[in-house]
Amino acid sequence: MESHKEIEEHAAQWLLRREAADWSAADESELASWIAASTAHEVAFIRLEAAWVEARRLKALGAGGQVGVVPPPGLWHASSFFPERSETENLLRNTRARRVRAFAAAVCIVLTVVVASYFSFSSNSERYATPIGGVSIVPLQDGSHVTLNTASEVRIDLTSRERHIRLEKGEAFFEVAKDPARPFVVQVGSKRVIAVGTQFSVRRNGDDICIAVSEGKVRVEDASASLQSGPERREPGGKLRSMPVDNAQSPAATAGRHSGQVFVAAGAIARTTDDGIVVQENALPEVEDSLSWRSGYLVFRDAVLAAAIIEFNRYNERKIVIEDPEVAALRVSGKFRSTNFEAFVRLLEEGFAVRARAADGHIILGSSRR
Amino acid sequence: MDETLKAWFAREIIAHEEALVRYLERHWPNRDEILDLRQEVYIRVYETAATNRPLAPKAFLFATARHLLIDRVRRRKVVSIEAVGDLESLNVLVDELSPEHRLHARQELRRLTGAFDDLPPRCREAVWMRRVDELPLQEIAHRLGITVKVVEKHITLGMRRLADTMFGTRRSNIKQIEGAEPDRETEHGKP
Repeated sequence: MESHKEIEEHAAQWLLRREAADWSAADESELASWIAASTAHEVAFIRLEAAWVEARRLKALGAGGQVGVVPPPGLWHASSFFPERSETENLLRNTRARRVRAFAAAVCIVLTVVVASYFSFSSNSERYATPIGGVSIVPLQDGSHVTLNTASEVRIDLTSRERHIRLEKGEAFFEVAKDPARPFVVQVGSKRVIAVGTQFSVRRNGDDICIAVSEGKVRVEDASASLQSGPERREPGGKLRSMPVDNAQSPAATAGRHSGQVFVAAGAIARTTDDGIVVQENALPEVEDSLSWRSGYLVFRDAVLAAAIIEFNRYNERKIVIEDPEVAALRVSGKFRSTNFEAFVRLLEEGFAVRARAADGHIILGSSRR
Repeated sequence: MDETLKAWFAREIIAHEEALVRYLERHWPNRDEILDLRQEVYIRVYETAATNRPLAPKAFLFATARHLLIDRVRRRKVVSIEAVGDLESLNVLVDELSPEHRLHARQELRRLTGAFDDLPPRCREAVWMRRVDELPLQEIAHRLGITVKVVEKHITLGMRRLADTMFGTRRSNIKQIEGAEPDRETEHGKP
């Protein structure tokens, strides 16, 4: 009989092999038969996998760091990286934005896990919130993970029938564990985004929401039924689908429409307003860009500066204001640390006819020509 | 594999690994066999749960451990009953022997970083580059100046050590990372 140690070593090798780029269907079935060969294999594999999945959370701590540079041991324990409970509770009560503290230089993302009673057995909803500039990963009991972006808040309610997440404000990325018996529902206002085993982000700005799907498929429903009334339109390029409420607006194609629901597949971005929903398909690069916040970055591709500044302002207490329309219309591209707006402003000054000055706790961007 | 059974097992059973291992250590004289016993308990629990999910997982886990120990004592005459002690003593209230060990998300993260910091230096680097930076093995080998085979060894060792420390089989420096304990250097460093 194999010893416990041998089994564990094999399980670890399988786990590692499975991550390889050349992992094939044949490998998959070989793994399946190794697991099926004995419960000892299966149990060892589940156990190591659970730890390895958990270890993925190190990513949140490494966000923004340089690839290949391993932080020194003890970094996370020496500092106030893990806030005390009372402090986090204060944060929950005090919804007003709080100043982000500067931690160790290597760690640029403040990870503040705000915990109500996480492991309560009842289905009381639990609230999690992040301060401005914070990113936080919340593991759920079902194996799913919710990553909260800056200044965001969710209520989580896991019941036997449904996994219900209410996005109160901000943005969150969801990695959903498969459980067909319990749909995973993200509620934003009257809209419900429903997934079974997938990865997607939902961002809320007032009542408008933006959904980016990186894996699988989600379904969007609207309790106020506005999504149900409109036909769907396919743009000539085949890239945009929209569902305006107004029936008369576009009686064209209705292919792919499902009564009362809109499906958003991997690589698509959906934006909804009270007037309907627009789906941009085949937008994988944009989806990836829109998810780069999870590693502490903002990515712009030929974006209008005004829009880029709105993004930066989400992550920083100190807001940037543009006073010159010409400056606002500048176009920028690149990848920037979301909390390092100083560097961004410096780059603007160097690269464009832009002059920045501080006033009133804001940073005012004007033209250097006037 | 049944996904929900897997999730259940990780959440309801492996979560009690620390208490389970302490329990086994307390009642079994041979340290070398603890990990095999742990595996045997897991197998029994998993096989039962596959057909009939226990309603009180923790109580079921410890009842299974107790039965296993009794079976072993009876089957293998080598281990004297004396060594194990009164079999009735195995019959402890589950809640007494294991206060709730579920951790808050923040504590879990501490436990993870503690377990990660506790890895041997090379192993720690390889794990970070694989798990966080997601570099391919060849690239890690290149950066660390070692062969791919050795990188694999470091990472698989890292996986096993992380699991052992995170789930509580290995005690390591977990205490130290809870923050309550004084720094070792200052405590023992000077005469």
